[in-house]
Amino acid sequence: MDESYTSLPTSHLLGSVPAAINEEKNASNYEVPGANMQIFPPNNGGERGKGYQTLGSPPEGFEQQPENGWKGVFSISSYTQYFNVDTDIVLNRLMSSLYPIGGDFFSKIDANPDLYGLIWISTTLVFVLAAFGNCATYLMEKHSDSTTSWNFDVSYVNLAAGSVYGYAIVVPVAFYFLLQYLGSNASLVRFWCLWGYSLSVFVLASFLLLIPVEFLRWIIIILAGTASACFVALNLRSYTAGSDLSLMVVAAFFLQLALAIFIKVWFFP
Amino acid sequence: MSHSDTVPLHQSSQSDIDEIESLINASVQSGPTTVLPARPPSPPRASIPVVSSSPFIQSNLPPPPPLSSSNQKVPSVPAPAPPPPPSFGASGFGPVPNTLTEPVWDTVKRDLSRIVSNLKLVVFPNPYREDPGKALRDWDLWGPFFFIVFLGLALSWSASVKKSEVFAVAFALLAAGAVILTLNVLLLGGHIIFFQSLSLLGYCLFPLVVGAVICMLKDNVMLKVIAVSVTLAWSSWAAYPFMSSAVNPRRKALALYPVFLMYVSVGFLIIAID
Repeated sequence: MDESYTSLPTSHLLGSVPAAINEEKNASNYEVPGANMQIFPPNNGGERGKGYQTLGSPPEGFEQQPENGWKGVFSISSYTQYFNVDTDIVLNRLMSSLYPIGGDFFSKIDANPDLYGLIWISTTLVFVLAAFGNCATYLMEKHSDSTTSWNFDVSYVNLAAGSVYGYAIVVPVAFYFLLQYLGSNASLVRFWCLWGYSLSVFVLASFLLLIPVEFLRWIIIILAGTASACFVALNLRSYTAGSDLSLMVVAAFFLQLALAIFIKVWFFP
Repeated sequence: MSHSDTVPLHQSSQSDIDEIESLINASVQSGPTTVLPARPPSPPRASIPVVSSSPFIQSNLPPPPPLSSSNQKVPSVPAPAPPPPPSFGASGFGPVPNTLTEPVWDTVKRDLSRIVSNLKLVVFPNPYREDPGKALRDWDLWGPFFFIVFLGLALSWSASVKKSEVFAVAFALLAAGAVILTLNVLLLGGHIIFFQSLSLLGYCLFPLVVGAVICMLKDNVMLKVIAVSVTLAWSSWAAYPFMSSAVNPRRKALALYPVFLMYVSVGFLIIAID
């Protein structure tokens, strides 16, 4: 199947292969971005379009992106395939990440996983944790002892950056290797995409965590953590779809909950 | 003949080429050159004219291709640092160009005036703002460097504890942030020049530098919030046309949001540092 479309003269267009995959799924209006992918490369294909020309069979297997314009680690054009999203697509994925019961995230991102969500949602979370963590600490201390003055602890930035980036990058890698070891096929980019979008709930929750009532803070973080963990776990379960990997799913659930508890304890005491 | 790749030259580089040509004429005093008296004045400025002077250069001077290629480099690298570029073609003949022996004050003044002119183009309203190609053609990195360091120093000075850590965070945030924002635009399929974009994002920091200085001098929280909000809006307004014109219109928000995020985080840092 690979050879039949690499021999096409228009192989720099995505052609009908992603559209064929999309037709099997439920026909949502997400078809339209799929159609856009056919016309988008010629608009932009001057220099970046080089990345869309296939270089023979892709090394990662067919369920990955059908063409793989990998030009080496240090060439930007080999990474543009992971940022091939428009504003409405990103917003769509963000909205769907806020609904923990769904389980269809992987089908949404299957043809076009993006790393934009991972990078910028985690960066936003770092900033929000550092900023609102300081505010919340101040408000909490003011609540109990009204003589405290504002003190900006810049180490919150370092801690937030280390923990959020570490979690968002390492956990999907760990799951990827674990799933590969256990025989099931996994895609690292899709895992990164999933975990990246799962952090968006924490950004919203951080706004609410400013309220200096301890009981309320715990309620909020438990709810947010559960929503995010359900999102990750249900999607992982529908992705693996094999019953012997339920331990993975449970582990993912509890890891996300652990992140939520960590955020509460360290940044919003 | 290299007429196929002739490009219209920048004014300053054209004058550099003329300078070097006159030096060539001055240094060719004896030797078998016969065409020298009949050499016409420099041709009109439509193409790189060094090729036209090659008939009489070949005998006793360094060969023209390095000279023409070094002159071709001049338009694309407009003064990266105070030791100026035209000097590298000068070692083979006669007196060196003026920019190497000029007083230091002249060099500094030239760079300062370029910083000021770039600042006026980027940050203040002017008719060329909407055309990114024209607005910052003569980009440089000195201005952004000064602004980032000065902003870090202002924040560090305002902080009461962990001063060095504050400076490190501010500097890292701004420097890495500029690089990552540029990479973000490139990854989204946009068309910008890497260093020109770095230069631009650095110049757009100027309003926040002003805000940081105001916050450093006055410690009132309300005043800080107002000053930072105004300067933040100004910085975002300055950066908007350049970033939005670089990418596909459907991805404009994806390219602009990180810029906004970076400026908001710097603004928060300015307000929050006590």
